[in-house]
Amino acid sequence: MIAWSAPIWIYLWMAGMAGGAYFAAFLAERFTGVVDRKLLKLATYVGIPLAVVGVLLLVVDLGSPLRFWHLFTQFKVISPMSMGTWILLAWVGIAIIMVILWWVGNRLTKQTASSLRSTTGFLAWINLVLAVLLIAYTGVLLAVSNQPLWAGTVLLPSLFVASAVSTGVAVLIITALIANTISRGSLVELKMAINQLFGSTDWAIPNRTVARLAEADVIVILVEIVALIGYAIWLGASSAAGTGEALGLLTKGVLAAPFWVGVVLLALLIPLGLEITNWGKDIETKGVWRAIIASSACVILGGLVLRAVIAIGGQI
Amino acid sequence: MPKARLIDVSKCMACRGCQVACKQWNGLPAEHTTQRGTYENPPELSGSTWIKVEFTERPGEWLFRAHTCMHCTDASCEKVCPTGAISHQGEVVIIDQEWCIGCGYCVQACPFHVPHKDEEEGTARKCRFCIDRITNGLEPACAKTCPPGAIQFGERADLLSIGKRTVQQLGANGHPKANLYGEYEMGGLHTLYVITDSPSVFGLPEAPQLATSTAWAQWLSGIITAGVVAAIPFWLLFRRKKQIESEQKSEVEGDVR
Repeated sequence: MIAWSAPIWIYLWMAGMAGGAYFAAFLAERFTGVVDRKLLKLATYVGIPLAVVGVLLLVVDLGSPLRFWHLFTQFKVISPMSMGTWILLAWVGIAIIMVILWWVGNRLTKQTASSLRSTTGFLAWINLVLAVLLIAYTGVLLAVSNQPLWAGTVLLPSLFVASAVSTGVAVLIITALIANTISRGSLVELKMAINQLFGSTDWAIPNRTVARLAEADVIVILVEIVALIGYAIWLGASSAAGTGEALGLLTKGVLAAPFWVGVVLLALLIPLGLEITNWGKDIETKGVWRAIIASSACVILGGLVLRAVIAIGGQI
Repeated sequence: MPKARLIDVSKCMACRGCQVACKQWNGLPAEHTTQRGTYENPPELSGSTWIKVEFTERPGEWLFRAHTCMHCTDASCEKVCPTGAISHQGEVVIIDQEWCIGCGYCVQACPFHVPHKDEEEGTARKCRFCIDRITNGLEPACAKTCPPGAIQFGERADLLSIGKRTVQQLGANGHPKANLYGEYEMGGLHTLYVITDSPSVFGLPEAPQLATSTAWAQWLSGIITAGVVAAIPFWLLFRRKKQIESEQKSEVEGDVR
């Protein structure tokens, strides 16, 4: 019986993207040493709706949705779902506070704004830790079970984390390119809305940053491939009951088509090929721009197929 | 002293009286099923079927085992339940129907595939060990009704010694692989089985594991992948790049340290 159907795997995918995008944006800007935090703001603006919609799907899928608040009466470290509840609540809550502080900061004098900036900086760090826990949790939730495909190894969280970061980067790339197009475009209202959100009049994510995100995604995809191979080998070699059959379900069973096409090709090999062939090229070129968008779209769709295949496969 | 039930598969004749008695006592509806080439019915436990005789056909032999909640001492369902709706009442593992939100985590965590989500009730449901009967000096409905006495109810310690004696007798009478299941599994089950062959033949896991036994390793796997492996590409590609670029452009707008 499939107790966890589409809403669950869509939720795992959305929560993964929200956390992954934040993780990628934070690290990219931290290592660069930027203080205007355009990428982090973008990740937060995209991440909040992703996480909130994901949670709503989860609540609707409950047998008794109106009792969802019972989740908040427990803090149960051993139950991943209980931990996930609190991680999500904290991440979304802090993200919303950060947004409010950014907006308030835009309306203050430089002096007061800088003191506010240290508060948001501190909150941003906390949310980095929470984002790591959030993307790990999407894998741990399934792995702490008695379904061989999920619990047969300890590499499912690794695989989901790599996929979450990869899909998160893809979301950043696509939204950055869309927002850049708008800010250069002729739609004044949209342009003003974006300027308001980001608190600057010449809002754009530099092309070099987008290109580097695509390059970083190449390495993340390689990590994901290693995690997937390790996961498959471990499942195949495990002596625990049902692990071999579970793997067979993916590689040659009823889920073989979505696995090979949706996960191996769409999520991993096609974007890898597209991004490597366009490595270092000028993103302004129409062909390169399209290739980057296409590979990001593949990563995002492939991430959904990965969650679906694993979630369904575990319950057959 | 903890109570338990002992199910001796060598005595079971698959009359399915236990299925009916359970439904009657607990007021559970019948299920619409279709003929699928076996007398085994319904196909699996559900939110409204809490005990069910499983059929295994082998050449010249038909094996039966009444499958129901094991009432584990270390119960995976109780561990993962995010709302605390699943708890032990003495030896009985019970799902509080007023508190369960129907998230389905216990369904995924049980090594015996016992709890099931009931779409109509909106909760996870399973055998309650007739807690209303056994706290009033009665035996569970399944044990009470079982015509050949394949399901016995009593003190766990007594049932263990009865079970061991039966295993010896079966061993000496053409069932060399007979064994007692449940003495140590999951910290000790409160549904014990005398089985005439290895557990997997009867659809029982040979080595059932607590779902949460690898929880820390699973968390570590995710956190290390994120914190170390997935962070490397960003370090490689973004390290102080902006600074270098902007120095070249010499167009610092106060947004670069």
